[in-house]
Amino acid sequence: MFFNSLTFAIFLPIVFFLYWFVFNKTKSSQNFILILASYYFYSCWDWRFLFLLVFSTFLDYATGIQIEKTENASTRKFWFWLSVGINLGFLAVFKYYNFFASSLATLLSDFGLKSSPFLLDVVLPVGISFYTFHGLSYVIDIYYKRIKAEYNFVDYSLFVSYFPLLVAGPIERATHLLPQVKVRRAFDFEKAKEGVYQFTWGLVKKVVIADGCATYANAIFDHYPAMNSWSLILGAVYFAFQIYGDFSGYSDMALGMSKLFGIDLLRNFNYPYFSRDIAEFWRRWHISLSSWFRDYVYIPLGGSKGSKSKQVRNVFIIFVLSGFWHGANWTYLAWGFINALYFLPLLLLNKNRSNIEMVDLKWNLRSIKEIASIFYTFLLACLAWIFFRANTITDAVAYIKRMFSNGNFASQYLANERYNYELLAIVIVFVIVEWNNRFSIEPISGRKSGLKLALAIAAIIALGTFSDYKEFIYFQF
Amino acid sequence: MKSFLIFIVKIVLITVLLAVVLDFGYTAIYLNSKSRDKVADVFKSKARSYDVVILGSSRANNHFVTRIFEKNGLKTFNYGMSGGHLYEASLLLKLMIERNYEIKNLILEADLNLSNDKQSEGVAAKFLPYIHRSEIIKNHFEQESNFNELYYIPFYRYLKFDSKIGSRELFNTIIQKKTVANENGGYYALGVNKKGNMKNNILSLNPLKRNKYYEEIKQLCKTNNIRFIPIMTPMCENVIGMNYFEKVKSAYPEIHNYENVVIENKYFSSCGHMNDNGAKKFTSIVVRDFFKK
Repeated sequence: MFFNSLTFAIFLPIVFFLYWFVFNKTKSSQNFILILASYYFYSCWDWRFLFLLVFSTFLDYATGIQIEKTENASTRKFWFWLSVGINLGFLAVFKYYNFFASSLATLLSDFGLKSSPFLLDVVLPVGISFYTFHGLSYVIDIYYKRIKAEYNFVDYSLFVSYFPLLVAGPIERATHLLPQVKVRRAFDFEKAKEGVYQFTWGLVKKVVIADGCATYANAIFDHYPAMNSWSLILGAVYFAFQIYGDFSGYSDMALGMSKLFGIDLLRNFNYPYFSRDIAEFWRRWHISLSSWFRDYVYIPLGGSKGSKSKQVRNVFIIFVLSGFWHGANWTYLAWGFINALYFLPLLLLNKNRSNIEMVDLKWNLRSIKEIASIFYTFLLACLAWIFFRANTITDAVAYIKRMFSNGNFASQYLANERYNYELLAIVIVFVIVEWNNRFSIEPISGRKSGLKLALAIAAIIALGTFSDYKEFIYFQF
Repeated sequence: MKSFLIFIVKIVLITVLLAVVLDFGYTAIYLNSKSRDKVADVFKSKARSYDVVILGSSRANNHFVTRIFEKNGLKTFNYGMSGGHLYEASLLLKLMIERNYEIKNLILEADLNLSNDKQSEGVAAKFLPYIHRSEIIKNHFEQESNFNELYYIPFYRYLKFDSKIGSRELFNTIIQKKTVANENGGYYALGVNKKGNMKNNILSLNPLKRNKYYEEIKQLCKTNNIRFIPIMTPMCENVIGMNYFEKVKSAYPEIHNYENVVIENKYFSSCGHMNDNGAKKFTSIVVRDFFKK
């Protein structure tokens, strides 16, 4: 059941009605209906994975309490590592085992040793990377005594399984979400309205931008050896907007619908393509994951403290881990590694925190430099996305090589029976709209919101891609 | 909460209103602009007179060279549509008859397309802008499972088939972007394709015993005094020995088997489609056999 599906359009109003009109008396009843809805939502993919979700929830709930109750350091450590080990074990088995087994077999065959690895025939449970990270952050925070353990199982379950964030985030923190589920939510019209606006804008990003770009990006990436330089450049740009529209669109829909239930989720995207350097890009892209790695990996490793060599090591660790989090494929590792390389000069020159605030242009020379920096950062991001999108690293390298060596910049007719440049106008309009609204959460609210909402709905109806349905990219992670 | 519910009702109303307005706008544009495909061309036409009309899929569109018919004094148009099934061929013929076309001969490419009597969504979509303006189209689609959605929900048909009749096609219609669909008498020549796929496994393919739309076309021809010439058109060397065409012949003895009149791969762009040279050779044989005796 995807957020942009007809079934979800039926599911959401039903849950909304039950939540506010039937189960609205107490916090417990509100949480109960949300849990029920969340489990139903998750079971729509594969009901068998519900057991995994419930087990994972119970594990972190129980170990959290044990860690808090125990004063003995080694017992605390035992419960902590039990939780971390099992959580990561699930990820290892479902997501990474086959990758490691086949990679080892390839390595052995390179040394002339033949092996036939035992591969698991399992489907990756949807959202496993997200809810595992939820649970991990909770247990780690209890272990380091940053938060108290949650004793109410329903409340804790809702923190892990809340359906708007269950399958593709944002990766919530107990400090942010748990306090909200501990109190009864009262209906707030303004907040709900904001939610509708944000949901609608997320839908525009998904069906107009992401799915539109996907049609072109797929036609180009899947036939890249026959593409000219112009098509390959456009392919990379289209994919950059596909993944942005897809994931930030999903996040906007999640945040928007959550507001309908009176719950605020963490912001996950903050106009990343208007970043002036890669460090800023990573503070604006998939914020909940970046901050997770920062708080639970980078800072414990020493972060930006210590010698430069240690700082460099830490940067490479979190970027490569972040790439690997996305999937068990060398291309994701390469993508993470390339981003670490981009980040390195900023770290060495102590410029990684130069651009904190959103870019604000004035009529001066500095603004020209800032615009150039935005384009340069976008170019770097696009080059890295090629590795993310390509099937293999060899394909990615060949794609880039051809992009720079082909030298033909004529328009080209693609396998999807369209010319390569046709979508550019829509992408440019989208960029202009986002640019003009970069200081707000979405472009619909504010003055003339009714008109803007009508335009957004018209764009969804008239410009959306519906016949060639595409799943959300991040569901596979 | 009351304010919010009113807000949601307003959004629903705006959405419905937009769908109605867009539906009206799209339909008006498709109705009042220059035709970009064969369906629109027939829909907007008035009585025409042809010696030969050709119907079928791309294997008709790429195989019957209109010019060769014309050279022999036969006023001809190739209405073969790439990707089309007999479902659409039948509907197109019904539209022609409704518009009082005078057709003497109808050549129907009837071979691989006999294996199903379902619609080809991409081609059938081209009829949908006119569904409220033609009883023929409405009746033809009425048997489809999604007819109610297509007919009654405003804009649903443009949304469902956005790649065929959606905003992109609308834009191309508005700017009158050039199309070759109706040029060369409807014939579309394929070039020599050295990398063309010359393999096509049709071993497991079976013609339907009674293809509903084939029978419908046959009956329409009979009722309207049109000479009906169903033809199986050539395929590449690779399919020799796969007895699909024999299966067709035994189920439909009246269909003329021309599968083997052109067989060499040099005449093909891909296994199922002849190039221009192959099409000329094939068309000359057809003209000789049916129109010169």
